[in-house]
Amino acid sequence: MTSGRAGEAARVAAAVSGLVEQVFATVDRVHEAVLRSVERSGLPATRWVLPEGVQLLLRAPGQLAVGLGLVVAPRAEEGLPLRLEWWQADPDGGEVHTLEPDLRPSSLGYYDYTTAPWFDVPRRTGRRHVFGPHVDVHGTGRYVLTLTEPVLAGCGFVGVAGADVPVRRFETSVLRRLGGAVAPFLLLNDEDRVVLSTSPGWLVGDLLAADAVPEGPVAGIGGTPWRLVLVDARSRLDA
Amino acid sequence: MQLLSGDARRAVFAPLDDGALRSEAVVRRVGSAIALGLLADGEQLPTETDLATMLKVSTVTLREALAELRKLGLVETRRGRGGGSFVRARDDVLAELAEARLVELGTTDLRELGDVHAAVAAAAARLAAVRASRTEIARLRDIVDRLASAGSVTGQRRIDGRYYIELAACAQSVRLTMQEMDLHLELGQLPWPPAHSPGLLDVIVAGHRAVVDAIEHRDAASARALTEAHIETRTLWSVELRLQRLGGAAPAAGSRREVS
Repeated sequence: MTSGRAGEAARVAAAVSGLVEQVFATVDRVHEAVLRSVERSGLPATRWVLPEGVQLLLRAPGQLAVGLGLVVAPRAEEGLPLRLEWWQADPDGGEVHTLEPDLRPSSLGYYDYTTAPWFDVPRRTGRRHVFGPHVDVHGTGRYVLTLTEPVLAGCGFVGVAGADVPVRRFETSVLRRLGGAVAPFLLLNDEDRVVLSTSPGWLVGDLLAADAVPEGPVAGIGGTPWRLVLVDARSRLDA
Repeated sequence: MQLLSGDARRAVFAPLDDGALRSEAVVRRVGSAIALGLLADGEQLPTETDLATMLKVSTVTLREALAELRKLGLVETRRGRGGGSFVRARDDVLAELAEARLVELGTTDLRELGDVHAAVAAAAARLAAVRASRTEIARLRDIVDRLASAGSVTGQRRIDGRYYIELAACAQSVRLTMQEMDLHLELGQLPWPPAHSPGLLDVIVAGHRAVVDAIEHRDAASARALTEAHIETRTLWSVELRLQRLGGAAPAAGSRREVS
């Protein structure tokens, strides 16, 4: 029975991992486009690095990301300010717009991305990162998972290439991929925050105290700071 | 022109549902957005047609509002190529607008606004105590430290707004975050109490610090109760400022200091 449970944990983990890798494949395309452009014409202070065509990635069939692009590491000494080269699809799947957040520190709505973990962690570690779920306050204003990887060129750390996946869309996609019957599980991030839950005992966004993480078969999600824990079935509807 | 698309900005140009006195509502919204730094000095406003569509007001109403904003000196219109309507951040005018708004509102309106803010922020504080990560708690603390050392009353008001919006984001709730944005666009139309009595800033800072401590101790009930009590206190400050205006003894010097 235990091996059956462990097998189920592995099956769910594989489904999650498959979707994450699918999004990172898109991030890789953005990353490559940045490198090609920087190689050809350096890092311009005023002009975008990414060519227009990159936004078409948002139109690819089965695309989970609703936003993607490059977030530039500012270099004040070179006159390179805070800058996002980011495209975003409207929630109803309609038009694609560039994201133009408020980058003036004096504003109530200042989007201080250099301190955001999705930017800061890849910069510090040199590795890709999955951050969230989080309210992308002052940015997209959505509840998203943000997948980023650092972009390094001859001139050093250029910024992060990344994509946003709405939490709801991620949940729907995982559950669809798993088919009908799913064992109760929790997907936890590196902060022990619930990314996804199929048990009514835990809600997406909940933060678990170290001693409150349930015991159960665990499976890591390769290449992400996430892990999956199978939990016991419980219902609140059986009064 | 490309409009900034942050969520606070989205709130600035969201449709107005005030009903009557619409052109005045547009004037107040724009004034508050300038006071909060969401519209910067020299920034170009969208075209009349775009603005009217975004705010869901008629172009006639919008023109009335722009005319009033021009008269107040908060908007400047240039003709010809590269022309359009541009923002002028005038602190003295914003202070007068805030005074006028305070006098226009009754104490019941101030209480209603405070009640909703207390409900939203207290719910956010309770959830933040359960859901905020250590990094997020550190960020809240940093915001409160910056509030304590903010040089200008304009800066104080903006950082105070950021504290509440960040608190709602710590609750992992897009809806509470949006509610806070909307509330601050309304609160930004009123005088900032520490501009009238500088010592009140210490009370605000101490109030926020106590809440962040409770969040750090994962004490949800205290985080909620402290937030509620603090906002109730602030509501009483606004009510008292309002009542002071009854005798017609509005301290002009005080109002001048409002945004500086």
